[in-house]
Amino acid sequence: MPNEQKKPTLRGVFMNGILNENPVFRLVLGTCPTIAVTTSAINGVGMGAAATFVLIGSNVVISALRKIIPDKVRIPCFVLVICTFVTIVQMLLQAFVPSLYASLGLFIPLIVVNCIILARAEAFASKNGVIASAADGLGMGVGFTLALLLIGGVRELLGSGTIFGISVFGEAFEPMLLLVLAPGGFICFGLLLGIINAIVDKRRARKDGKGGVKA
Amino acid sequence: MKLSLSSGPHLHAKENTQRAMLDVLIALLPATAAGLYFFGWKAAMVVAVSVVSCVFFEALWCALGHKRSTVSDLSAAVTGLLLGLNLPATAPWWMPVIGGLFAIIVIKQLFGGIGSNFLNPALAARAALLSSWPAHMTTFMLPQRTLLVHTAEVADAATAATPLATGGASYIDLFLGNVPGCIGEVCKAALLIGFLYLLIRRVIGWQIPVIFVATAAALSWALGDDPLQTVLTGGLLLGAIFMATDYATSPMLFVGECIYAFGCGVIVVVIRKFGNYPEGCSYAILLMNIVTPLIDKYCKRRVYGEVKKNA
Amino acid sequence: MKKFTFKGGIHPLHDRHEGKAATSGKPVRPFVSDTVCIPMDMHLGAPSKPCVKKGEHVLLGQVIGEPVGGLGLPVHASVSGTVLEVRRKQNLSAGLSECVIIQNDFNDEWTELHGMGNVETAPAEKIIDAIRDAGICGMGGACFPTFAKLRIPQGQTVDTILVNGSECETFLTADHRLMLESPLRIVDGLRAAMRATGVKHGVICIEDNKMDAVETMRKAAHGREGVEVAVLRTKYPQGGEKQLIKAVTGREVPSGGLPMHAHVVVLNVGTCAAIADAIIDGKPLISRITTVTGCVREPANLLLRIGTVFLDAIGECGGYSEEPGKIFVGGSMCGVCAPDDTVAMGKGQNGIVVLNQKEATPPPETQCIRCGRCVQACAIGLNPYRLMNLCQTGDLATAEKEHVLDCILCGSCSYVCPARRWMTASFKNAKELIMAARRAKK
Repeated sequence: MPNEQKKPTLRGVFMNGILNENPVFRLVLGTCPTIAVTTSAINGVGMGAAATFVLIGSNVVISALRKIIPDKVRIPCFVLVICTFVTIVQMLLQAFVPSLYASLGLFIPLIVVNCIILARAEAFASKNGVIASAADGLGMGVGFTLALLLIGGVRELLGSGTIFGISVFGEAFEPMLLLVLAPGGFICFGLLLGIINAIVDKRRARKDGKGGVKA
Repeated sequence: MKLSLSSGPHLHAKENTQRAMLDVLIALLPATAAGLYFFGWKAAMVVAVSVVSCVFFEALWCALGHKRSTVSDLSAAVTGLLLGLNLPATAPWWMPVIGGLFAIIVIKQLFGGIGSNFLNPALAARAALLSSWPAHMTTFMLPQRTLLVHTAEVADAATAATPLATGGASYIDLFLGNVPGCIGEVCKAALLIGFLYLLIRRVIGWQIPVIFVATAAALSWALGDDPLQTVLTGGLLLGAIFMATDYATSPMLFVGECIYAFGCGVIVVVIRKFGNYPEGCSYAILLMNIVTPLIDKYCKRRVYGEVKKNA
Repeated sequence: MKKFTFKGGIHPLHDRHEGKAATSGKPVRPFVSDTVCIPMDMHLGAPSKPCVKKGEHVLLGQVIGEPVGGLGLPVHASVSGTVLEVRRKQNLSAGLSECVIIQNDFNDEWTELHGMGNVETAPAEKIIDAIRDAGICGMGGACFPTFAKLRIPQGQTVDTILVNGSECETFLTADHRLMLESPLRIVDGLRAAMRATGVKHGVICIEDNKMDAVETMRKAAHGREGVEVAVLRTKYPQGGEKQLIKAVTGREVPSGGLPMHAHVVVLNVGTCAAIADAIIDGKPLISRITTVTGCVREPANLLLRIGTVFLDAIGECGGYSEEPGKIFVGGSMCGVCAPDDTVAMGKGQNGIVVLNQKEATPPPETQCIRCGRCVQACAIGLNPYRLMNLCQTGDLATAEKEHVLDCILCGSCSYVCPARRWMTASFKNAKELIMAARRAKK
């Protein structure tokens, strides 16, 4: 946050990724997997977990190596580190949860070029210490996961009538197929983006307003 | 004495937004009446729910945003009526409600309200409903021709595919609407009466509907189909007269309107002939809606005195 | 019969014959009031300098204001009598203007006049100076000094003079009555202007809703060298200079240019009649025909002395028939509002229109529905709905690129707008801001 002059606490770094700088809803990064994989809540969580793992790993490694990596070739170096972690996560998923791996498909290898991960490497990990970078990676990862869970949850609930595969509304409910199709992803993402930004802005305005009275 | 001061013009034309929308509502009355005649109380329910929900969501949006209510400009009522007429009479009651929510809130108001929407709200809602509940949207009731009788069972039993998919209804049945289909699209005679009224009231020009239909007929003839069948089946006339001519989503000048209508006509035939859907009218119009800003950008009138300056 | 026209335009108030029915059949009636209040800034250009003092006796046609600057014009007493006061007063123009108020003695004693007798024999080189000395400016409303229009600069060629009798504005019938009642003066004035500029071709342009005037003018023009009458389709703004030139000659005034750049000079019929008076009798411009209509008891075409106060003119027409809500000068499309009814007539005021409270209440502005009527109505080929968005969001640079400066402020777009957007007003504002910025840059 621009108005925070002093060094943020670890908790601050972590919470930042969840709400104020939520990668999906506030920074609007990584929208491709966001829209593509959130046809169900479980897909969202799976994608979020995979991305979190990569985020923490790459943030820690890049932060540790930040003094060694030459500035001019930093992006290829970052990508190499990220690739390593993506490959690990891909193999793990393939080995232990093959069904999730099948439904996420191409989007797992695509984590390599996910803006969130590269952006955090560039903007945070290459400038901060290992612990803080780990906290940032965790915060961003959890924020990403929560956002995907929210979008995936809404889309699954209305589009298939289930949540985590469990039927919620019973037989009479006729799901709105549109929401599990691509246009539904865009519409749902847009609406949630608007609502969450409205809430955050209102909260911030209220906070600023109170601060103004005190001062 | 207090005199008001303003720059001209000091008097205005009588036509305003409300009047234009009222004219569209009046022009839709024959088609609505025909729909009710053929499909009975179920159709009446669908149309009524659709209009009420659209108006309700418009009022709700204005109330939540603390804005002056725009219900009185009747545009929401027009959207509601068009949406209702675009649904089959067998549609369950909640479909027009969700359609109205989608049309008014998502398509119209979120993009800035009347005039700022980039898609025709009623058509976009129809497309959303069609992709969400394809079974409901493509099951049509056989014409009943009676207003009051019929239990739900009889009506539900008498369902059939639209002649677009099966073919084989006589021209006169197609023209008068004695075929299964969406509530408002079946009676071509009633739609043409509405078109005539809109032309006389100068609410719309002739070019979009005529070029749209002519292009579709010519292209289907060229591809070896019966052009009259093409024009009289499905929602082509309803779309061409009432949906493609929507002010906000159609080009402004004659040349642009011609390109737009031509594009609509081509896409309809291409979808019907080569696509997976039996009916392509709504998608054709929606696609051309998206192209409209581009058409408007390139089809401009020459500004007076401009060329000589450059020469 | 060939009828000329242009692209775009509208038919305002067509359901009530453009508001003209109330006065078009009424012959011009002279009216002289007790006092006149003559503003010094009736013409475009620097205001004249008053040269009479309080208590002084003036004769009809005597110079009471001396010209200032290159576009200056003299101002003449429009009645004979005593100067009551010379003071600053609110008139039609923005801000206060210097006025000479004269008490009429009803003797109509003329000052010494130097007429040249006949427009065909008058020395051509003296005509323009005579027009200047008579204080003649454009009587269609713009009030541009006529001598300056006729003084063609070196290097420019003009081959046609158009006389504008189209009177496309609503409510007005002053030019119509003038053409019916004094056709010869108009033709004489046109001939004088043609001889002064050496132009061989003069066209009197009349809309086809005034076919009686076409007949009268045809008769009057018969046998006069180079003068013909053209019939125009009735459409607003047919009488706009640019539209008139396009319709009759097929030429276009280049963007930012003058009619002269299309080799044309446009004069109003009233201006031509005033030129005839100035050349034949040497009479300066002291009166003009004005249509007084709207919410007045007896709408009429009055021959008013310059400087007549509105209240007097309205009183001559039986007074207000309803509580007035708005008074404007000219037609309803681009008439200029009067702040109250004590302002005085200038040289360019062809109509005084009174609206009642209900008509004066502006209809509520709603959201643009993109119907495109404004685009079709624009007589210049602009895109008013887009320009309006640009002007209202303050993007004047883009608006300038989209030709907002070419807008003639005719009001057609606002008139047809079903959402009642204030388009013309925002264009006017934008034009003023852009011009002010340009001047500041210089």
